[in-house]
Amino acid sequence: MLLRLAWRNLWRNPRRTAIVLAAVAIGIAGSLLSMAVNYGMVDQMVRTAIETELGHIQIHAVGWEDDPKLERMLADGGRAAEHVLASGPELRASTRRVRVDGLAISARGSAGVAVMGVEPDREPAVSVLRDALLDGEWFGQSRLRAVIGQALADQLEVDVGDKIAVSVQDALGELTGGGFRVAGTFRTSSSDFDRSTVLLRLAEAQQLLALGGAVTEVVAVARDDDEIDALAQRAVKSLGGTAEVRTWSELQPLLLYMVQTFDMMAWYLYAAVFIAMAFGIANVLLMSVHERTREIGMLRAMGMRRGQVIVLVVLESLLVTIVGVVSGLGIGFAGALALRDGIDLSAFAEGLASYGVAPRIAPVLRPSDLLIPLVVAGITAGLASWWPAIRATRYRPAEALRRS
Amino acid sequence: MLLEAVGLVKVYDTRGITTRALDGVDLEIGEGEFSAIAGPSGSGKTTLLNMLGALDVPDAGLVSLDGQDYSSLGAAEQSELRLRKLGFVFQAYNLIPVFSARENVEFVMELQGVPPAQRRARAEEVLEQVGLAGLGEKRPLEMSGGQQQRVAVARSIASRPRLVLADEPTANLDSKTADSLLELMHQLNRDHGVTFLFSTHDPRVMEAARRVIRLQDGRVVGDERKAAS
Repeated sequence: MLLRLAWRNLWRNPRRTAIVLAAVAIGIAGSLLSMAVNYGMVDQMVRTAIETELGHIQIHAVGWEDDPKLERMLADGGRAAEHVLASGPELRASTRRVRVDGLAISARGSAGVAVMGVEPDREPAVSVLRDALLDGEWFGQSRLRAVIGQALADQLEVDVGDKIAVSVQDALGELTGGGFRVAGTFRTSSSDFDRSTVLLRLAEAQQLLALGGAVTEVVAVARDDDEIDALAQRAVKSLGGTAEVRTWSELQPLLLYMVQTFDMMAWYLYAAVFIAMAFGIANVLLMSVHERTREIGMLRAMGMRRGQVIVLVVLESLLVTIVGVVSGLGIGFAGALALRDGIDLSAFAEGLASYGVAPRIAPVLRPSDLLIPLVVAGITAGLASWWPAIRATRYRPAEALRRS
Repeated sequence: MLLEAVGLVKVYDTRGITTRALDGVDLEIGEGEFSAIAGPSGSGKTTLLNMLGALDVPDAGLVSLDGQDYSSLGAAEQSELRLRKLGFVFQAYNLIPVFSARENVEFVMELQGVPPAQRRARAEEVLEQVGLAGLGEKRPLEMSGGQQQRVAVARSIASRPRLVLADEPTANLDSKTADSLLELMHQLNRDHGVTFLFSTHDPRVMEAARRVIRLQDGRVVGDERKAAS
């Protein structure tokens, strides 16, 4: 009965209610879209890092994280780690790599680079590097081929087919190097990665670095984001102290921090929007309660308790807010759907790439985008209505009935 | 005795001006009475009715209904007393504008927790008694003043209260409608035993009442009982 009365009371003054509803709905829709685009950007940074280099988890020899030197290698070629990973249901794909710092030199320039030996046939299952090919081919059939970032190619002033020298320190501590012909160039969403990466075949990198069959890391991706922790835990449990197992968030804590910061920002943004709205809601309720002083006196005379009158006013506030929030979420979701192919920011492509963000950003909506506005709105509506509700019951019934 | 008031005093202080609205009122109302508190404007009729209906508290004196002293009750218990034992009819009808006539009549029963089917049947029965059969789905603003006051009467008796307090119930009605409403309340009193206590300065109400308690300057100055008609 209180709910029915509260709902009908809202529509006594449809224009006033519509203004409150519109304010709540527009605030929510704007916040939702803004958060979705921002989170889309962060999500893309994380995806870029995972898909170009990190994978979901990496397994290294013990001590690699503190001091990534070639002597800290997986001497069995990562076979044990891959066996453990493949023994459960969570794994989508894995591959082995060798990674070492080095120098890339061309006839016209040089650059400090990360030299990565990859398995050409398995690497595409864990990263987007082959799909990011801009020119040339993914290693091809000939020996001693390299695939490099287009930004690095530009810096070295080389094209596909040109030769570069790669200089590194091998596992024995000796400076060594080799010549490789550029088979292809790639462009990912991370300009840093493109500027500093040389990919070689794993076997050729092992030979160059005098590693024998050893690798420096095993990279794996889980079937689903929710399975990353389970995959990592199984690897930790099985490999024990013989290897270091790290998830992407442990390898790049800054990315995790950014995700957490944006999660927190959502609460602050919605709280700010609703605190502003709370004053509007309270104002409308105060007017509405003031206009109904006599009627509230009548309700009390009929036997309605003070607490029931308070609940009635709180319900009116909750209803108008919830209808506004649901409408706002609907508009926001529709907006996000309309922008699902992404917002074209190619005018800022260079700047975005330096943060690992592609020039087209698609909004990303999460369950919390539904939950947070509802929770914050519920709390705000309750608080905003408290004062009007108390005012509604401040008079004894006789005094309220006397007022016009 | 159904209702008893002893030594009621109520003083209003408005911006330093003290008004003694009730000045030691003693009153007894028996079951089945059809009585009116009469007096000129400012004599304290509405104030007295408010005290008797537990809508306000006296500065001195006691009110009891069925032997239950109001002053011993907390605010929630007074609400419960109004809900279970009292019915009200106001001069300005005071219906809930967003409810239909039937919903207004059902309102008190809803507060009492009467099951929907039962209260709906009772509402329709009472609306028929007050001559509004078939008008239950109309909202107050779609009805005439007389019809609205009939809805108010229907609401006041729907939950079968011990006493109906009616504050100037005919003041906003034309004479024909007022007569019709008085006849209705008289009939409810006669046929269904509903106890009515009015405040009024309308001669028609005073004439219809079987007992007229005269109030002046907050004091009872007369209590006239008529022979049963």
